[in-house]
Amino acid sequence: MSPATRDADGVTQASGDSALAALRGATTEVALSPLTLDVNGEQRTIHVPAGTTLLAALRDDLGLTGAKYGCGHGGCGACYVLLDGAAAAACTLVAEEAVGRSIVTIEGLGQGDALHPVQRAFLEEDAMQCGYCTGGMIMAAVALLARTPNPSDDDIRDALAPHLCRCGVYGRAIRAVRRASR
Amino acid sequence: MTPPRQDPAWPAREPEQLERRIAIEHDGTIVARSGKVEYGQGIRTGFAMIVAEELAVAVDRVRVELGETDSVPWDMGTFGSMSTATDGAALRAAASLARSILLERASTRLGVDRSALALRDGSIVGQDGRAVSYTELTADEPLRGTVPLDSVEPRVPGPLSDTPRRADALKIVTGRARYPADVRLPGMLHGHVLHPPTSGARLGSLGDAAARAVPGVVAVVRDGDFVGVVAERGEQALAAANALQASWCAPTDASGEETSLTLREDTGVSAAFDGAQVLDAAYHLPHVAHASIGPSAAVADVREDGAHLFVATQRPFALRDAVAELLGLSLERVHVHPQAMGGMFGRGNMSDAALDAVRLSRAVRRPVLAQWTRADEFRFSPHRPVLDARLRAALDASGRIVAWEYEAWTNPHTYGGPGAWPRMVEMTSGRNAVPPYALGAARIQLHVAPGELRTGAFRSLAAAPHVFAIESFIDELAVASHQDPIAFRLRHTGDPRLRRVLELVRDRSGWPDRPRSSSRGFGVACAIYHGTYVAEVAEVAVTRDHEYRPQRVWCAVDAGRLVHVDGARNQIEGGVQQALSWTVFEELRHDRRRVTTAGWRDYRIATARDAPREIDVAFVDAPDLPSTGVGEPGTVPTAAAVANGVFDAEGARIRRLPLMPQAPSADALADSTSTS
Repeated sequence: MSPATRDADGVTQASGDSALAALRGATTEVALSPLTLDVNGEQRTIHVPAGTTLLAALRDDLGLTGAKYGCGHGGCGACYVLLDGAAAAACTLVAEEAVGRSIVTIEGLGQGDALHPVQRAFLEEDAMQCGYCTGGMIMAAVALLARTPNPSDDDIRDALAPHLCRCGVYGRAIRAVRRASR
Repeated sequence: MTPPRQDPAWPAREPEQLERRIAIEHDGTIVARSGKVEYGQGIRTGFAMIVAEELAVAVDRVRVELGETDSVPWDMGTFGSMSTATDGAALRAAASLARSILLERASTRLGVDRSALALRDGSIVGQDGRAVSYTELTADEPLRGTVPLDSVEPRVPGPLSDTPRRADALKIVTGRARYPADVRLPGMLHGHVLHPPTSGARLGSLGDAAARAVPGVVAVVRDGDFVGVVAERGEQALAAANALQASWCAPTDASGEETSLTLREDTGVSAAFDGAQVLDAAYHLPHVAHASIGPSAAVADVREDGAHLFVATQRPFALRDAVAELLGLSLERVHVHPQAMGGMFGRGNMSDAALDAVRLSRAVRRPVLAQWTRADEFRFSPHRPVLDARLRAALDASGRIVAWEYEAWTNPHTYGGPGAWPRMVEMTSGRNAVPPYALGAARIQLHVAPGELRTGAFRSLAAAPHVFAIESFIDELAVASHQDPIAFRLRHTGDPRLRRVLELVRDRSGWPDRPRSSSRGFGVACAIYHGTYVAEVAEVAVTRDHEYRPQRVWCAVDAGRLVHVDGARNQIEGGVQQALSWTVFEELRHDRRRVTTAGWRDYRIATARDAPREIDVAFVDAPDLPSTGVGEPGTVPTAAAVANGVFDAEGARIRRLPLMPQAPSADALADSTSTS
């Protein structure tokens, strides 16, 4: 590795050819603690820095990218998973808080090739466009129908309300949840 | 309106080569290629249906490749609701030529005249039952040839395509659709860029000791005014970027040059106002954010011999060219791989995160995922320009418009800046500034200058803002002359397609008979957007707290020949829903130099609770007319329809978005529109 040039502040200058000479290998050691999570019915052990969010653990350590990063403060609903059957924002939970609890992600919702009825209803209503919010909406709907099998229109809207959709498929999503409740 | 592809400001279309468009694979899969990209608008499905229809196969036999720069035909970008109109037509023409070649070869192979052959499920069959498959017909000699532009052979009658599900739907509902942030390459690191607080600010001093001390940090990368951090994990990169101590120098070059255009100037405009009933009004729209749910993200893998980009972009080829220039590589060494994309709405015309990832990957010689935060997205994205519009019109004694003046001030809708040539400014910032009505003598002027914030392409560009001002003012004219707003519009257009959508939405909504009250009003608005005709009626409820709640929206749409009816309906519904959100909620907060909105807490968009009870979409059946777009047109008339509905209920004219109850004094002012 060629030496990096540094300015007075000790900053790596990475312009032109020297861009290829940026510092590497000087990584500060990170203390990693083992955690075992119950994800989609399997016990999975990972080693992550203290304070790692459940969302990062799922996406970066367990390869489950169906829960999306959208805002990092539980404000958009793209990262929702089921935690002991209830819909929860994975971005506001520290992974350690999920130890000993059942975690289900959108990838674990169906049984093999068989879709969950809510997934099927979203397909049948084409209740999606770009799909970025769809997984979160489906998780919210699954949690809703588990506790309220025959939801009112307001119940459905309330359950979906934390899930922002910019493409504007709310009407279809509401219909999909109603369809799945039948 | 002239379709953009025929405009001299756009590159002329080159003759198409069939081999770049359609190929038959060994297993019978038909590959169809386009430079357009999919971000939820459904073109992957629509293109597959077009090719399947032309070649008489099931839709799932067609695999559509989109935006892969190594294999698809060059394309300027996916915008303007033009994909189906242009590339859908190109694919139809290519598939039609493919069918003709296949029939010719089958005729030779089977010794049967073409007219006695039929297409059936991937094979060509003769009347005696002998068949030869497309795969066999292309095994030794791939499909090849120049596709004649705009000539499609009459189709051999075959089984009609069924209406399929969205091609990506199964992946989406099972969490397997892969967006850029979901890409995981061996050895991949995570990057975060520190953005300048104001566009164009210069980086002065930079303290990075604290950033380097963050566990997992691999490099702090500085390249001129670009500074970013690369770390083993995403949270580490973000923490380190937040620990950077940067001082920025505000840009000295304000470059606020204004481009002024006259879009129409008839003779005798001033005289036409004399002695007539004259109204004038001013309208304003604030900056709004794209607010895609997925913040920008991209993975770049930059190596000595080339670069691979896993991205969301509306312009794969422009990105390829920019990266090739940045890295000093030839074009064919830059490979753009479009991933599943969160809704773009114009945001993807600037591939900021992709360029971030390229610079970071170049520095560390490993693949890097560059991730923007939600706050980055609000603060540093280009946003929808503001619009200030002044309108003045004169009505004769019969209530007909005899004079019209429109002058509007806005910011650039494209990224070329004020140096862009006038025709381009007219087509972007001037889009839909000319109403589709008989106006008498008219003068229409436009001023475009950079404002306080970075601005850029936003769904429909200037169309939705201009149409809010124009269609609200048209309503004012109708009211002032005691005419029904739909009848008033019909009276001022002879365009049969515009008349048809107005009549259709009038009938669907039960317009004349709907009971109005101070808590419930109905408003109408319409537009012609890139050849698509759309008219909308909005029912608005006014609560006791004077909140405006759109309850139902009826849309009538003429988009020519429809390819995928439910997909088109989904686009119109979604467009209306998004535009309702702009209309009643959205305004980006900012001071003189920067955006102060940082998250969803201070930028409200519509949720499922706010969704109207119904969005009714009716299409005019026009199978013989060319297909036009449906991605943007639904958004264009919505704000005016809602504002006109508020007036219908409350008698208060609100000339500013988002629609908020006006203070009583403002109401009084609004009602005292000058009449001479």
